[in-house]
Amino acid sequence: MVKEPKKEFRKRDFFYLIPLWGLSLIVPDADDLYSYRSREFKRREIYYLGGVLVLPLIWPDPHFHHLMVLAGIYAILALGLSLFLGYAGQISLGHAAFFGIGAYTTAILTTRYSFPSFVAFWASALTAATAAFLIGKPILKLKGYFLALATLGFGEIFLVIVRETQTLTGGVIGIFGIPWFSLAGFSFDTYLKQYYLTWGVLLGLFIFSKNLVRSKLGRAFLAVAASEDAAKSVGIDVAQVKTGVFVLSAAFAGFAGSLFACTMSTANPEAFGLGFSTLIVMMVILGGMGNLYGPILGSILLTCLIDILGRYQEWSLPIYGVILILLLIFFPDGIGTRLGIRLLYLIGYWAKKKKRDEGKF
Amino acid sequence: MPLLVVKEITKEYDGVRALDRVSLEVLGGTIKGLMGPNGAGKSTLFHLISGIEKPDSGKIYFNEKEMTSLEPHEISALGLGRTFQTVQTLGNMTVVENIMTGMHLRLKGGLISSGLWLPRIKKAEKEALNEAKEILDRLGLLGRWKSPASQLPLGKQKLLELGRALAMKAELILLDEPASGLTPVEIQQVSETICQLKRQGITLFIVEHHMGMVMEIADEVVVLDNGHLIAEGPPDVVKRDSKVIEAYMKGKR
Repeated sequence: MVKEPKKEFRKRDFFYLIPLWGLSLIVPDADDLYSYRSREFKRREIYYLGGVLVLPLIWPDPHFHHLMVLAGIYAILALGLSLFLGYAGQISLGHAAFFGIGAYTTAILTTRYSFPSFVAFWASALTAATAAFLIGKPILKLKGYFLALATLGFGEIFLVIVRETQTLTGGVIGIFGIPWFSLAGFSFDTYLKQYYLTWGVLLGLFIFSKNLVRSKLGRAFLAVAASEDAAKSVGIDVAQVKTGVFVLSAAFAGFAGSLFACTMSTANPEAFGLGFSTLIVMMVILGGMGNLYGPILGSILLTCLIDILGRYQEWSLPIYGVILILLLIFFPDGIGTRLGIRLLYLIGYWAKKKKRDEGKF
Repeated sequence: MPLLVVKEITKEYDGVRALDRVSLEVLGGTIKGLMGPNGAGKSTLFHLISGIEKPDSGKIYFNEKEMTSLEPHEISALGLGRTFQTVQTLGNMTVVENIMTGMHLRLKGGLISSGLWLPRIKKAEKEALNEAKEILDRLGLLGRWKSPASQLPLGKQKLLELGRALAMKAELILLDEPASGLTPVEIQQVSETICQLKRQGITLFIVEHHMGMVMEIADEVVVLDNGHLIAEGPPDVVKRDSKVIEAYMKGKR
């Protein structure tokens, strides 16, 4: 005998509704995750932006600010790589080199030639993009594992060049005393100011990428990833698209490298090795490919994780490895994507559970 | 003047002649069928026309322009669309985006202007979306315009691929086995769509392994066997051709 469910509103419904309403502000809609509209701007993105703006103010810890500056810089890098890796479906294990090129360009221009850091910032992106264009022409003909190896080789060549050209780059010692980023006399000399600088740049590049992804170029990226033959059959110049997105992601890496040099005030070759390249790829994969929030989430997560594990000294690396393996097992398509699906599932589950309890199913 | 001219084309794979001095013409505004048993060289011919592979000798003209040595995307840009034997919808995009990908060459906009989302890009995207929906409406896929292309059943994916070629405003569309793997109802739908396209003035060149569908809709049929062209003409004439019957029966004796 099925009881007629009560129609009136009960007090405990508030306990369901308040968290659900909160979630509905920030969590993507069910049919948004993979649909056409997921590439449009949404109102909930203003809430994300608000969160980013007030977060350092409600948690005024300089160490946290510094951490978030680093996360922001890595996020810029990961965002660029996600266009190449997540959208165009190509792999690069040499992105640390473009990051390094950006950092060294800023370091050399500001310390040796006393350029203003704003000019050096753009010059870094330009240098990294030029380097990407020159090496991209030959190596982007390769696919899959071979492309991974070629980019890996490029990263190692970059390190050797940096170590050997001591007059320009300072060799293994590197360059010290890079000034803070400054714009029209305003110097970003505290971690809080740098936080807003980094996340401001990230915001700009994020909007740029989001626009790109929903334009015809974004469709061309995805088409190249899905089927090169099909892309060619509608007149997409596959080689040109690959080079374009490679150059673009290198320019993002150049921006990030420039900011990195300004915040750390040093540039030395140890920071730009293969370990760093794989870290960025990890950020993109863990965060979730094929959406632009993934890399940002991944970089925040991994930066915080590395910082927390730093306390455990020699145990940090094994723990880090185990956590990464667990994350990959439980979030195979990225935390950003998977978390969205999980939350939606939970919301759906609660709603259905109520009905189930009332004997509807 | 024919729209597509293939002249004396030869292609070898490791010493095996896939195509031996094949010549044919496709007239504008007609449906031409290309048939033949397995391994006759039909798909090779299509790959050569669309530029994925290059012929060893011979020439291909489209609209009186030689395109033998052009890259595949340049050939597409001339107004030649195609579909694939194993369906190649872009599964990482939605249905409507698949169609909009077909408009790639017609939409203007570079890296910077797209990234800044200038008003003209916004306008062009909006128009492209509406046009894509019109095409979907014609194909009867409008109801699922927002779902991922990989979730469509095979028959709808074939239609979607056809729609992508349509969105290019192609003059000539090469259809590689449009009916393979489809149910009779789906085959009916595909051939109705093809006839509609012909009425709109689009030229179609169809490869089909089975006799049925092509014999119904084609104006003219060519038959390949072992890389040789063995028959050409209207469907009912070709159907009775002794060489054709022999070629098709060969495997069964």
